[in-house]
Amino acid sequence: MTDNLLNKKELFLKKDKDNGQDEHVDRSQIVVFKLGGEEYAMMIDEIKEVVVTPNIAKIPLMPSYIKGVANVRGNILAVLDLEEKFGLIKEEKDKNKKNYILVVESDKYKMAILVQEVPNTLNILDSQIDNSPNVVIGEEGDKDFIKGLVRLENRLIILLDIFSIVSKDILQAGGEELSA
Amino acid sequence: MKSREDELKQIFYAEALDQFEELNRLFIVLEKNHDDKQSVNAIFRITHTLKANAAGMGFDGIATLSHLLEDIFSEIKNGRLSLNQDTFNDLFRANDKLGELIESVTSEKQVRYKGLVAKLKVILSEARGEERVQQASRDYVGEREAQETKETTETKKEENAAPKAEKQEAETANTQEKESTPEPVNKLIPKEPIIEEEAAVEETSAPKISFSDLIQVPVHKLDNLLNLVGELAIEKDRIAANHKGRGSEYARLYRVTSDLQYSVMGVRLVQVNVLFQKFHRIVRDVAALESKKVNLVLEGTDIEIDRNILQIISDSLIHLVRNAISHGIETTEERSKNSKPETGTLTLSASNEKDHVIINVIDDGKGIDAAAIRKKVIAKGLLPERSAMQTSDHDIVKFIFEPGFSSVEKVTQISGRGVGMDVVKKALDSIGGKIELSTKKGKGTTFRLLLPSSMAVKNALLFELNNAEFAIPLSFTEAVVSLYKKDVHKVSGGLVSSYLEQNMSVIFLKDIFNLKSLEDVREPHSLHKSFDQTKNDTKLNIIIVKFNERLVGLVVDKLLQQKEIIEKTLSQPVDNAYFISGATILGNGNVCLVLDIPGTLNLLFNPVKFGSYDYATI
Repeated sequence: MTDNLLNKKELFLKKDKDNGQDEHVDRSQIVVFKLGGEEYAMMIDEIKEVVVTPNIAKIPLMPSYIKGVANVRGNILAVLDLEEKFGLIKEEKDKNKKNYILVVESDKYKMAILVQEVPNTLNILDSQIDNSPNVVIGEEGDKDFIKGLVRLENRLIILLDIFSIVSKDILQAGGEELSA
Repeated sequence: MKSREDELKQIFYAEALDQFEELNRLFIVLEKNHDDKQSVNAIFRITHTLKANAAGMGFDGIATLSHLLEDIFSEIKNGRLSLNQDTFNDLFRANDKLGELIESVTSEKQVRYKGLVAKLKVILSEARGEERVQQASRDYVGEREAQETKETTETKKEENAAPKAEKQEAETANTQEKESTPEPVNKLIPKEPIIEEEAAVEETSAPKISFSDLIQVPVHKLDNLLNLVGELAIEKDRIAANHKGRGSEYARLYRVTSDLQYSVMGVRLVQVNVLFQKFHRIVRDVAALESKKVNLVLEGTDIEIDRNILQIISDSLIHLVRNAISHGIETTEERSKNSKPETGTLTLSASNEKDHVIINVIDDGKGIDAAAIRKKVIAKGLLPERSAMQTSDHDIVKFIFEPGFSSVEKVTQISGRGVGMDVVKKALDSIGGKIELSTKKGKGTTFRLLLPSSMAVKNALLFELNNAEFAIPLSFTEAVVSLYKKDVHKVSGGLVSSYLEQNMSVIFLKDIFNLKSLEDVREPHSLHKSFDQTKNDTKLNIIIVKFNERLVGLVVDKLLQQKEIIEKTLSQPVDNAYFISGATILGNGNVCLVLDIPGTLNLLFNPVKFGSYDYATI
């Protein structure tokens, strides 16, 4: 079942990509997913795959948004719940079953993010990205995680810089360790 | 035996080719700028290594030539010789010749180099002039003497070298003539004709590109391969589990996968010689600095061990060796006073024992003074005076592995760099190794390092806790027992029970895994929670682990099986998780976390951080 979904997903992504290449305008593909009712997105090249959430092994003494580690094709990846990280869960009943994980990868990190539904890809013009979201009032530098805002008709999509979330958190964790 | 020699030869050849290529590059840099200090230093370094390797392998031609180059570049480095076009051309030719010699290692072709050697010696002796500086002779004392009297002795030396060269290089009985006769005839071989002859040969030898039969593979590629094989092994387990009772059908799959697994692990194995070889230089340097005479003996150099383990212990081994020389082996005067041979002996030996590789660092020095250690233990407050006095000498010396203990007051350039034996111990702990020490006053000290031969696969005990599976490496487990609640007693903030009449602390793993933060362990009764909830007639499943001579019973929900696991380290952002050293994937596809026993026990029993847990240091 996992493979089926994945294949579909890959096909879907591929088709979108082809469409994009026909025109010679600067375009980006983003992957959009919902967190706490809002739409968030990442650049498509940051996302490696989407899989059904595997069993997660909880690691003791980790921040609550780090759900643990899971086996994705023989790789052991940390699984993050961004709704918890961003404080988007107000009540216990909002804790939806998160069925899928997005595997994200950079040179340094490889990890997974919990989402409820299979995300969509969107083709957007680079000019539609507002890279200077000075409208955002963040708590304790939260806005550092925001790469930009995308406005599409009546949608507002928050473009995330996923890797700065963890790198920042590692710094903080290190600080705690020192003071402990 | 033959294949071993061939293998070594291949390794040497591959390394030498690399070094030669680097030399080529440096010489070309140097051609453009004769004063390039960096290149001079680099050439000096490379020729030095090449010389040592070649001498070790018995390739006298390469050794002689690179030794001469090394000497010349040492003179250039020290400003006693400056390069002009003529000398440079000679050196360049020497470098080419070196390449040919390296080539001849595999081709068995005879290469003439004596003429060039003579020429280089002329350059060298001119540079040194008559006022040869009295410098501490490095190695090859004999050879240096040979240089002093130039040609006459030179021939003699060549004749010494020739039979050896013949043995090594002419294995396939190459009948090409040689310019120096193997028989010890004390005849002076005229210099000039040889050079001419060589020059003639040189013109005909066109530049060639050669490849060695040995390929170098980045370790991460091997790691990747090992990961894949690990997955295969897991898949194999899964299939077998799904089709119980039809085992024979999978016998072949089983065999192939495990063969594959061991082959890949075998690829990662290297000979300890790779590491041991480097100690010739280290021992020499440290001994020179301490003005002591030390002879290094290497044993069991062909024992194989996982390359990553070798890397991890290399610093530790350096530390142990330095310590042995600067603190163990006495000065020459002291030694002769105690009627010991003037030159101390340091032995590095490797051997196999079951699944382990044992490396011994043995010195014949003065041994560790237990009384001094005892004094220090008391002074540092590591033990109360009374118990320190009762502790046997054998046990008290083990305190050198405690953090914060460094047995020498004076910080020396060599051994006192703020790191102590505790760092060595930590490095060994991290790979599931052990270090033991035995010492005899006046006779010497032996450090015994017990290392796993492969880091990839270890035996582990699987257990269940909070509906999740965990593993403990078998190297830490002592026993598995069932106890009733009444066997466990509250003592201060913790729990204590006994095993084979020894006291051990008992910890409900649940209590520490459910903590919100590490600080909470200091909360009163935080380690009593599960105990208090346990009914009196419940049987407790306890895994007894032993680390640092300390027995600790870990209470788990359920004991599962014993299994060979492939432990993978966790990557960021969970790489420095508390209590967990890594993870493995089980046959059912689930991730199973591997408990970091040294880390966990250090966290819990470290009296610096958790002052209220002194009871654990009983």
